[in-house]
Amino acid sequence: MTHRSVEVPVIARVEGEGALHIAVDDGEITDLRLEIYEPPRLFEAFLAGRQYHEVPDIVPRICGICPVAYQMSAIHGLERLFEVEGPEGTHELRRLLDCGEWIESHVLHIFLLAAPDFLGFPNAIEMAKVQPELVKTALEIKRVGNDLMAAIGGREIHPVSPRVGGFSKAPRRRDLEPFLPRLEWALGQMPGIADFVASLPAPAFPRPAEMVSMVNEDEYPINVGDMASTGGRSWDAETYEQVTHEVHVEHSNALHSLMTDTQTPYFLGPLARVNLNAPLLTPVAREVAERAGLRVPESDPFFSMAARAAETTLAIEESMRIIGAYTPPDPPMVEPQPRAGRTSWMTEAPRGTLYHRYDVAEDGTIVEAKIIPPTSQNLRHMEEDLRAFLPDVIDRPDEELTRLCEMVVRNYDPCISCATHFLRLDITRS
Amino acid sequence: MLVRVIGCGNPDVGDDAAGVVAVERARDALEALGVEVVPQAAPLGIVHLLEGADAVVVVDAIRSPGAGRAPGEIVRAEAGADGLPAEIRSSLSSHGLGVAEAVGLAAAMGPTPRVIVLGVEAERTSAGAGLSDAVRRALPDLVGAIVSEASDLVGGAGAEVERSPAEGPTDPTRDGGAEPR
Repeated sequence: MTHRSVEVPVIARVEGEGALHIAVDDGEITDLRLEIYEPPRLFEAFLAGRQYHEVPDIVPRICGICPVAYQMSAIHGLERLFEVEGPEGTHELRRLLDCGEWIESHVLHIFLLAAPDFLGFPNAIEMAKVQPELVKTALEIKRVGNDLMAAIGGREIHPVSPRVGGFSKAPRRRDLEPFLPRLEWALGQMPGIADFVASLPAPAFPRPAEMVSMVNEDEYPINVGDMASTGGRSWDAETYEQVTHEVHVEHSNALHSLMTDTQTPYFLGPLARVNLNAPLLTPVAREVAERAGLRVPESDPFFSMAARAAETTLAIEESMRIIGAYTPPDPPMVEPQPRAGRTSWMTEAPRGTLYHRYDVAEDGTIVEAKIIPPTSQNLRHMEEDLRAFLPDVIDRPDEELTRLCEMVVRNYDPCISCATHFLRLDITRS
Repeated sequence: MLVRVIGCGNPDVGDDAAGVVAVERARDALEALGVEVVPQAAPLGIVHLLEGADAVVVVDAIRSPGAGRAPGEIVRAEAGADGLPAEIRSSLSSHGLGVAEAVGLAAAMGPTPRVIVLGVEAERTSAGAGLSDAVRRALPDLVGAIVSEASDLVGGAGAEVERSPAEGPTDPTRDGGAEPR
């Protein structure tokens, strides 16, 4: 009997580390556990005892890629408890801020994180050496998103202007108008990007999945809507923790989300959103989805790239629409009156639904915070993907196996996906 | 001669705040030198912040287990044609999209300005922890190193500043610091 245990070195990162443990016995996978380090959990404790108005400054620091989503789930939840709404125009300005985030996050993932996996480059740097123009274009589109976040949020990273009750300061019309030609340029790039995505040699990986996303009758959901699944379920923020629940996984720190009644995993993110909201895609976004080969319903997770391209396009078109009609909310915010109670809200972060719950004391102090990030909700589904994916490749050398597993996991754009080599493969073959 | 000084890191994640804090503290002195200051760059934002500058100084927390560095130790490295020396590539940053990746990407796509990284070895990197004593004590030296680096660059008008390997703790070329990639 041969017994081999392998550790593939990992670059330890503050906010990104994952480990995959696999046990193989006579070519059969007998155990498989995926662990992903989750910064949001640490912040839950950090939030308790803070004042409600500090929350929008703390939660964006959970993530350098999707700070706005964290702010938006928190702010909307607290506004709902305090029964306050931002002044007219707040919803659109927030949506514009989110669009900036969707653009930068999705472009980052498509070109700098996922494409090198599909094309066999060890990282984006090596890809940029071979295809510098492609990477330049990608970085320029990403920059439009980052600059939008800076123009509205007050800073490029960890926006400071979003408040419970509106914005501390709203951009002027002339701050946003210069984005129109840049967005127009970016929109013009998207059909070519769709062709690029369609050309990527992704493995065909048809997988049954219950896909979950927010839905909204009027607009493609980002900040407002209820929940739905391709399995016919529907629920809202109040029932989120009843319909789904988290289970502790043995021998691991991870929590996995499951549907409560069936104990089955679910799959959220861009592909789920497109599946559940395809009629709400904007015109060029629909064209991009088609060119990228995405036809709903589609549950092959590798079509997430095409979904990201479509949503990037949607975010560009929505940004143009919102800026075109923009009048700054004046005054930019309404002063909220705190009150005691429990509140919850979810928004669509670039990588999937992000749920927050807060218990608040009468004076506005946060008593308890609960954050269920998209990555943790996808974790069980990722594991099952790996279980389905691995039998055909399990005999490959460990290094190649690590790369393939990273490709499967990174495709979900998990919180750690930005690390170049994020997965520590721990495989025991006997 | 446009010199830009950039801070990196997450202010809420223990010693990862060091770069941002140090650049903020150095801000007045840097601006007096005519240096552009960006206290906190976004992940990969450094790619764009290299544009238009003649020289860039990036300040970030680093973590180099196995290198035998004490927390608070300051490391200086300069990017070559192929990006940064391996041992600085372990710099901490939000989501792993750090200084090394940004500089490497920019270098892969075309000519870049001089890039000098000042790293400070981190001790703890957990959310809400604040700076460790070791890193806090190193801050005055780090601020001094930033200002002196920027001042050399402004005064040197682009002249190559050779650092000898004998510079001890700040020497980026000594053995044992590279983390496996």
